[in-house]
Amino acid sequence: MKRTRKPGISRRSTLALMGAGAVTFAAPWVARAQAKSIKIGMPTILSGRVAQLGTSSRNAVMLEVEKVNAAGGLAGRQIEMVIRDSKGQPQEAARIARELVNTDGCEMLLDGEASSGSFAVHEVARDLGVLCIHTCSEASSLTADPKQHIPNAFRCVRQGIHDSIVGAGYAAGIAKAKGLKKWATCSPDYAYGRDTTGEFVLYLKKFAPDVEIISESWPKLFQPDYTEVVTKILQAKPQALYSCLWGGDLTSYIDQANIYAMFTQMEVFAVNMADYTALTVVKNLPKGIHSGDRYIKTFPPTPENAAWGDAYKAKYNEYPTNWSWQNATAVMFLNEAVKKANSTDGKKVAEVLAGLTIKCPFGADGTVTMRADDHTLVGYAIGWGTTIPQEPYVPDVKAGDWKAIFELEAEWKKSKGYT
Amino acid sequence: MTELQAGQSAQPLEVPRIDARPQRYRDLLIALVAFVLLALLPMLFGSKQLLDFVIRCAAYGLFATSLNLLVGYTGLISFGHGMFFGLGAYGFGLMMQKTGVPIPVAFVATLAMTLVVAVVIGAICVRLKEIYFAFVTLAFQMLIHSTILSWQSLTGGDQGLRGGIPRPPFLGIDLANHLHLYITSCALLVIGLFLMRQIAQSPFGYTLRMIRDNATRASFIGINVWRAKLVIFVLAALFAATGGMIMALFVSGAYPEFAYWTISGEGIFINMLGGVTTFLGPMVGTVLLLILNDTVTRLTEYHGIVLGVVILFFAIGLRKGLMDFVVEWFAQRRGEGRG
Repeated sequence: MKRTRKPGISRRSTLALMGAGAVTFAAPWVARAQAKSIKIGMPTILSGRVAQLGTSSRNAVMLEVEKVNAAGGLAGRQIEMVIRDSKGQPQEAARIARELVNTDGCEMLLDGEASSGSFAVHEVARDLGVLCIHTCSEASSLTADPKQHIPNAFRCVRQGIHDSIVGAGYAAGIAKAKGLKKWATCSPDYAYGRDTTGEFVLYLKKFAPDVEIISESWPKLFQPDYTEVVTKILQAKPQALYSCLWGGDLTSYIDQANIYAMFTQMEVFAVNMADYTALTVVKNLPKGIHSGDRYIKTFPPTPENAAWGDAYKAKYNEYPTNWSWQNATAVMFLNEAVKKANSTDGKKVAEVLAGLTIKCPFGADGTVTMRADDHTLVGYAIGWGTTIPQEPYVPDVKAGDWKAIFELEAEWKKSKGYT
Repeated sequence: MTELQAGQSAQPLEVPRIDARPQRYRDLLIALVAFVLLALLPMLFGSKQLLDFVIRCAAYGLFATSLNLLVGYTGLISFGHGMFFGLGAYGFGLMMQKTGVPIPVAFVATLAMTLVVAVVIGAICVRLKEIYFAFVTLAFQMLIHSTILSWQSLTGGDQGLRGGIPRPPFLGIDLANHLHLYITSCALLVIGLFLMRQIAQSPFGYTLRMIRDNATRASFIGINVWRAKLVIFVLAALFAATGGMIMALFVSGAYPEFAYWTISGEGIFINMLGGVTTFLGPMVGTVLLLILNDTVTRLTEYHGIVLGVVILFFAIGLRKGLMDFVVEWFAQRRGEGRG
């Protein structure tokens, strides 16, 4: 059969021309729509041993971002989150943070890194001048040390020093009431473990001078077997034990210590117990472990906090973590700061953020503040209570006194040479 | 006739010496062209991500190629080479933070410190062979990593060196400027690769190959195997430390993860990926791994599965690195052409 081709423009050419025309004319609108959105970058840990915490950070951010976007976005610009996995490696965290700003066009950073990763992202923020809110690192020096201070970085996270002051006050009260004089400690052997334990012991002795530390154990981070640690503590026969083990380490420790009936032989103070990731994983949660609040929906005991915890559970089919409320609070801060600055410009937002107080479900009095002098979060709900094996897990949390925290924190900063 | 008489009557053997100079000039020319091309990249492409990528390639490339001097050329499979990467980063960072000396002084002092540590560790390790060597190097790496974690007052413990690394300008070079850092990293990469190439192609480099293939024979013909192994162990440590210094400058800090066993693992993986029988294999492996890492991390959080599949493909499928495969393929084609 002979194929014929009609003269003139073919159907394909016509379609191609129409397509090209549509792209040409649509381009300005597409570009405008893109410019209208604001990209916020977030390096965090989505793989490895702390992936659950990174994922809960992402979940909380997305929960809040959806609310902000539904209400019109940041100064009319829809938020577009760009979230990447750093694998918990500081060099990856730095690379990703730079990539998010330089290549993906992110105008702000939420730093969902812990420990060394947060310091690596902090240096990127220093270098690029981009607005950065740290949302997971509890290392006090990140904001307390004036060498770290940069005008464009903030920390929306609880701090080890705050936990130690409140925890020691609470523990000293029980120590005096029950005559607990012989204490043991068991904390992970790295900076957080040693710093937090040291500060707890310092304030415990300040509030209850009779206390004596008769045994110290420093298991390695992610240690699988705690038999020698448990037996060492049992042999020392202390009346009370303090631990800042966390996550999988804490749950493994409790499961193994349960075999030796450790929790019936002494009062146990575990600052990181009251977090759903630990509470729901321990096989037989002993009654009466004293713990600081990480995140539980019953503290602060407000309808706003309970509603937030339930909304998170309804959306993700699991309870939020300590990292969740911190990340959610960071988005709340950004939203309020942009409203006040009436701009998404990083510098203007940073100026407003310093000293900003916002309404927040996780505030001790319904509000939280980004303290102006060291760009760190204060006024969040902080307290200690005792566990029961079922919900609400920590039914009665005794709230810490922020006035006392501020006084002792100022002394601590002075002793460290920070002020 | 006794051996002595035989030795006296024998004529000295005339070994034709190959003039190595033309090859050295060729290497130098290639190095210069490579540097010029790298230096021109920022003018051709404005992407800051590309500059970051090349800086990281320089750090990991020097580290992986130096590891290949041990693995590929000497047959010493070190599982602890990352300790020198970490030492370089910490030594340089601490020197800049605590003493405030000019950058070149800190650079040289860090190399001197690495040299001393490498001599001590190497003197113990290179006496051992195969798996024993591998595990003792790993043990030393974990020792250094634990020291970094524990010596909190000096190293900052698990939080690393905080507060940024000061980068005062020297000789008109300001490493706080990203472009200057890029050019300096490229220069260090090219110089490092050129020097390692000269080591690999020198008579000493061929001695290392002989030790790799048959250490007993090498010692029988009068080579001090222990000394040769120690020298290459120390030289490789110096190049790895240079890689660590570039990384410290890139992230403006040093972190315990730089001295962790996973860094050594990445070095081994890079060598597997690129191949150990060609000089540029590890460099190709570095580029491949970083491209894979950067793109896969962007696309999925299940990057571990993807990288695992890639390792399996190279280990079980190709059974060699990419450059080994390419070189063999070319050789085969050339053979077929002649046939």
